[in-house]
Amino acid sequence: MKQSNEAFWWSLFSAGGVAAALFLPAIVVLTGFVLPFAEGDTATRHEQLRELIGWWPVRVLLMLVISLSFFHCAHRMRHLLMDFGVRSTPLLLAVVFYAGAITGTVATVVVISRL
Amino acid sequence: MSASNGAAAQTTEESLEARMADKTITLEVFRYDPAAGGDPTFQRYDVPYRSDWVVLDALNWIKDTTDGSLTFRWSCRMGVCGSCGMMVNGLPKLTCSTFLKDYYPDPLRIEPLANFPVQRDLVIEFDGFVEKLKSIKPWLIRNDQRDPADGELRQTPKQLAQYKQYTMCINCMLCYSACPEYAFIPGFIGPAAIALAQRYNLDSRDQGQAERRKLLGVQEAVWECTFVGECSAVCPKHVDPAAAIQQAKVTSTIDWYKRFLMPWGKK
Ligand code: SF4
Ligand code: FES
Repeated sequence: MKQSNEAFWWSLFSAGGVAAALFLPAIVVLTGFVLPFAEGDTATRHEQLRELIGWWPVRVLLMLVISLSFFHCAHRMRHLLMDFGVRSTPLLLAVVFYAGAITGTVATVVVISRL
Repeated sequence: MSASNGAAAQTTEESLEARMADKTITLEVFRYDPAAGGDPTFQRYDVPYRSDWVVLDALNWIKDTTDGSLTFRWSCRMGVCGSCGMMVNGLPKLTCSTFLKDYYPDPLRIEPLANFPVQRDLVIEFDGFVEKLKSIKPWLIRNDQRDPADGELRQTPKQLAQYKQYTMCINCMLCYSACPEYAFIPGFIGPAAIALAQRYNLDSRDQGQAERRKLLGVQEAVWECTFVGECSAVCPKHVDPAAAIQQAKVTSTIDWYKRFLMPWGKK
């Protein structure tokens, strides 16, 4: 009985759902609102933030959150289109979306490791 | 309340009843007779409106008084047998639990359950559904050869609670009618069959999980589901088949990683 490989993509999708729901909002609030509007000198805060990102567990966490969110999005979009009846080219659909997520992951790793 | 007030209330109630007696509600009913050939049509019937009537009462009134040829299934009239499922204004419903008063004064459109072949009028063909239920081995599988003399297999209330919700299914097939994936892929084993598989998988007396997990790990089982969630939304028994599918996806994913990381492991 042929077992489906969909399980693999689904696991990235659900991990991405957790990452996107729990960590992304926290990161956005922290870096987009709390830090920019906090009291004190902007330059120092910027330095502090860079120092934080220089710490490797933080980098790995960031990469994971961003990459898994890409996979979450890719899987959802692929199935959304299928729900809307785009079903004649399932392989193409999978390749386009997951290749997009993989590209996004590579870009994330490159950008973050250069920070 | 004074006596005169009580009498007034009674009169209002009576006149309300009297007025209701003349009220009617329109049912547009799907008609199809394969023997006669031709395309399906919709036939309009004006039915007396009673606030305590359900759609099934209206259909029975039509059959008894106006048109004996109208064909539909029903049995218990109390939401237990699961045979009276139809589309009411486009949504799958048990017609014995769907009140006319929730639609009055608008007309109602009654159609056979969506996503199933129609046999005649409101009667659908459900052999495929029964085959799907059977395919997931819905019985207690035991590796030991027990016989009744060995006594009961006991269970704590907590163990029962693990799967009890999934035993509430009445096989009404509303969840299949609501599922857009099933509409696309008739081979999808679907919500109720997966809920039934979980009913046994989560039963402490059962030892057939390994067998059933293989059945559930194929594409046409849990993996056709894209978590639309309509199955649970329409289920009249709150079985929550969408939750069963999610649970089965998790176990199926664990199995996938086990096979991937330990290909030499037990197949
Ligand atoms: S899971 Fe609910 S909707 Fe589906 S067949 Fe069972 S009772 Fe009906
Ligand atoms: S007639 Fe039995 S459930 Fe409606």
